[in-house]
Amino acid sequence: MLTVTRLQEQLRPVRRAVESAAGLPNVLYNDPAGFELEKQQIFHRTWACIGVANDVPEPGDAKPIDFLGMPLLLVRDHDGALRLFQNVCRHRGMILIDAPRKLKGVIRCPYHSWCYNLNGSLRATPHVGGPGINEHCDVPADQLGLLEVRMGVFLDAVFADVSGHAAPFEEFIAPLKARWSEFADQPLYHGGQESRFTLDIASNWKLAVENYCESYHLPWVHPGLNSYSRLEDHYNIFAPDDAAHAPGDFSGQGTLVYAPQFEGEAPMPNFGGLSDVWDRSAEYIALFPNVLFGVHRDHVYSIRLEPVSHGRTREHIEIYYTTPEAATSDERASTRRKNAALWKDIFIEDIGVVEGMQQGRGALGFDGGKFSPVMDAPTHRFHAWVAAQLS
Amino acid sequence: MTTREAIAVHTLADEALDQAIIAQHAADPVDLTALSALYREGAQRARDRAAARFALTHAWVLALEAGDARSIAELERELRACGGLAPPRS
Repeated sequence: MLTVTRLQEQLRPVRRAVESAAGLPNVLYNDPAGFELEKQQIFHRTWACIGVANDVPEPGDAKPIDFLGMPLLLVRDHDGALRLFQNVCRHRGMILIDAPRKLKGVIRCPYHSWCYNLNGSLRATPHVGGPGINEHCDVPADQLGLLEVRMGVFLDAVFADVSGHAAPFEEFIAPLKARWSEFADQPLYHGGQESRFTLDIASNWKLAVENYCESYHLPWVHPGLNSYSRLEDHYNIFAPDDAAHAPGDFSGQGTLVYAPQFEGEAPMPNFGGLSDVWDRSAEYIALFPNVLFGVHRDHVYSIRLEPVSHGRTREHIEIYYTTPEAATSDERASTRRKNAALWKDIFIEDIGVVEGMQQGRGALGFDGGKFSPVMDAPTHRFHAWVAAQLS
Repeated sequence: MTTREAIAVHTLADEALDQAIIAQHAADPVDLTALSALYREGAQRARDRAAARFALTHAWVLALEAGDARSIAELERELRACGGLAPPRS
């Protein structure tokens, strides 16, 4: 059972240096109260990933998002701008849109037909003053627009601050944007339906992050990588010290031997203007709390972690390429399929250990674990970040 | 369409128009522009001002949903003319 006092005691050793730190306590993995606390203190308090801009590619596209119980609506307005609102009518609190759809005009509430422009302003209040009387002095339309939610986009991932009080998105994303400055403003082209998939994992969302940001497990869980990306070819990645434990913090791992080869397939085109270091390097970073990125000279992917419950997470994977031809042509379809299949196989290989750690959190005596200062430092960085948000 | 809506519609116009409106509501997908036009026709045939305002309101909402800018402008003029909307602020 979670108590605030006990939790604070348990978080203190997490925030020690990695050499002497313990991991996060079991209550944050197997207790609904821990999940609820993280919802309040992390997901609804700072920037978190809630979707991708590719979810609404065309003007008029609208997609409802359930963000840990907060109903959101991602919209591409008729001018092509991306907007994020609370998906609720200002009248009686009805959900406005319950499934992805294309809007030709306004958003019409299905309850009493209040209508909203796609910029959120209230356009019509039919019969509000009686049958056929469509205005009322006590229902000021200019004060009843949709509640807009602060939003930012990075590598097509859409971030939301539902609290309205987080530091500006530009500050949040600055550390990762600086590290990946050569990718940050590159045009990305989604590879289509074959380049997106979802995995349903019977584990807490944090375990997916913990596993992703370290290379220690690669030789055992992904033996297929041993032939071309050995453990010694990997290195740890951390956000700069001044971002440690703050919103915008990240950790991960990189490889010095990215060398994609699909039999019978020509190489995919590279992003323009990359420095030589990316000829053979690739990096895999977890941007806390809930999005995992992979950048390569010829493609980028994101894995958005959707926490469903304390013991269940959905991973939403999206793969992007460097040119429209690479992303959509029939000629490159085979390569896209093989690349998506490769990543899907790798991410599926992780499921067993991630779900196994979830099961292990049922062990009453497990104290959160012990970190290798060399191999587990990125994982500890994440644990310490979570502990800081909950302290 | 619910029974009440059908009764409301029947106060507007003749049986043929009622049936056309009911059929369009039941279509999948609904043709918003066509349905808006049917309500507008019902408003023109309405037996009194209140019934006309009611039908125009429905035509207007459907035009808004369809994004039919020309019909929206025309319907708002008609609604203002019969007291369904206030005059625009100058």
